[in-house]
Amino acid sequence: MNSTRFLLSSIGQKLLLATSGTIMFLLFLIPHMGGNVLFLFGPDLFNSYAHHLHKLVPIVIGIEILMLASISVHMIIAAKTTWANRKAASSRYSQKGSRERSLAARLMPWSGGMIFAFIIIHLANFKFYEKSKTMLDGHEVYDVYGMVLSRFQGDLWYVGVYIFFMIAVGLHLSHALQSALQTYGVYVPRSGSKIKAASMWIAIGMASTFAIIPIIAYLK
Amino acid sequence: MADKKINLTLNVWRQQAGQEGAFETYKAENIDTNASFLEMLDVVNENLTCSGKEPIAFEHDCREGICGSCGALVAGMTHGSHDRTTLCQLHMRSFEDGDELTIEPFRADAFPVIKDLIVDRSALDEIVASGGYVSVKTGSAPEASTIPIEKNFADSAMDAAACIGCGACVAACPNGAAMLFTSAKVSQFALLPQGAPERASRVKEMVDTMDKLGFGNCSNEYECAVACPKGIDVKHIARLNREFIASRTRKKK
Ligand code: HEM
Ligand code: SF4
Ligand code: FES
Repeated sequence: MNSTRFLLSSIGQKLLLATSGTIMFLLFLIPHMGGNVLFLFGPDLFNSYAHHLHKLVPIVIGIEILMLASISVHMIIAAKTTWANRKAASSRYSQKGSRERSLAARLMPWSGGMIFAFIIIHLANFKFYEKSKTMLDGHEVYDVYGMVLSRFQGDLWYVGVYIFFMIAVGLHLSHALQSALQTYGVYVPRSGSKIKAASMWIAIGMASTFAIIPIIAYLK
Repeated sequence: MADKKINLTLNVWRQQAGQEGAFETYKAENIDTNASFLEMLDVVNENLTCSGKEPIAFEHDCREGICGSCGALVAGMTHGSHDRTTLCQLHMRSFEDGDELTIEPFRADAFPVIKDLIVDRSALDEIVASGGYVSVKTGSAPEASTIPIEKNFADSAMDAAACIGCGACVAACPNGAAMLFTSAKVSQFALLPQGAPERASRVKEMVDTMDKLGFGNCSNEYECAVACPKGIDVKHIARLNREFIASRTRKKK
């Protein structure tokens, strides 16, 4: 079995999904959350964080390329396996009970698709958005804090959309984190599993941390 | 045990090979609650035959939960909703008088319907034929204690070997995947020294065959383990994944 056949086998594709997902989780979602938390500590800290991030451009671009590769692999394999699974179980039952399948597991292709849609909206709103300048320690820096504030203030609908998308992130992660471990061969038991519980709490924690920023910005 | 009789309404899937199927409704009357589910179907079939109709085709052999022949979806659950029970070992005392039950064949792309509740599960045999064996010299049985095996390994291998190949895991899986079955068949050898020589080639061949036969991809939803009448656990799927990854680095046969 050569490498291509290995990676395109059913388990190989799961490994690709798990690896690309884990890369996005560790190198994008966690650092991004860490940065966002600084928003809660006011304009100076947040703007100086954004300013320093711009100085790390080579690293940032490296990570961005890795993200682009990961999300492409993730989406292509996700679409491919979801399609194959629909076909493999295409003859539907008239009545089918389920006792184990979680809501998060059922919604994986949908929550994933929503994350993708969100990434597009999000980049359009904040990355490729005209930013004004402000003064920080006698230097002129981009007012990223002010941009976030102005985007959310007075726009309850917009805040709602963000929270809605963060629910999708939470749902996706709560199944994904523990599922990736089982895919790598770490036994995740069916019931009473600490890994499953941890996966759920990390997902809830991250989704609510992301969601709290638009709420705070709106209330400021 | 007190004799109790119940009446049921059955919506049963009827289908001839290559034709469209449909549900038909039958009455199952005066059913002894000590009867098994298959015995209840025997009674219904007896009446169908007497009134000149075609009896419901279903597969069965041992009727004691060890051969893996029987199986159907009863009220949405494979082998009915009793834990760790095959359809032949499901008893009518699990039902109430007046219950209405939908009975359908196991469905998956890889399991075409042969007739009524009988599906072609030979895809599972093909997976086994592609690597689910050990190559040994035949002859008189060797002395059992010549190969020492740690008890917990022997126990785990025995648990995996409990799989009777009924296909309920595939039927219950929202992806029509055969991972629980294949993981049991790989694990029972991966855990034992006798399985060591063919360890890498076995898992590669069996996963390859499984993929080619049109089974879906596992998404770790664990419906299979709930459905399994033999209590095969998802730890064997984790082992299958490990075996598959390790097969990249293990020496070729
Ligand atoms: C920040 C972004 C994302 C992260 C961190 C992430 C993470 C993950 C992880 C870790 C898995 C588990 C793999 C496994 O079960 O072994 C997964 C599965 C999956 N993801 Fe994502 N994902 C992200 C974005 C997306 C996007 C944009 C899509 C779709 C367009 C998507 C669709 C899926 C699907 C369909 C699965 C498979 C679910 C299954 O097999 O049950 N994900 N994701
Ligand atoms: S793993 Fe369980 S459900 Fe699947 S074929 Fe074996 S005995 Fe049947
Ligand atoms: S008839 Fe043998 S297991 Fe049910």
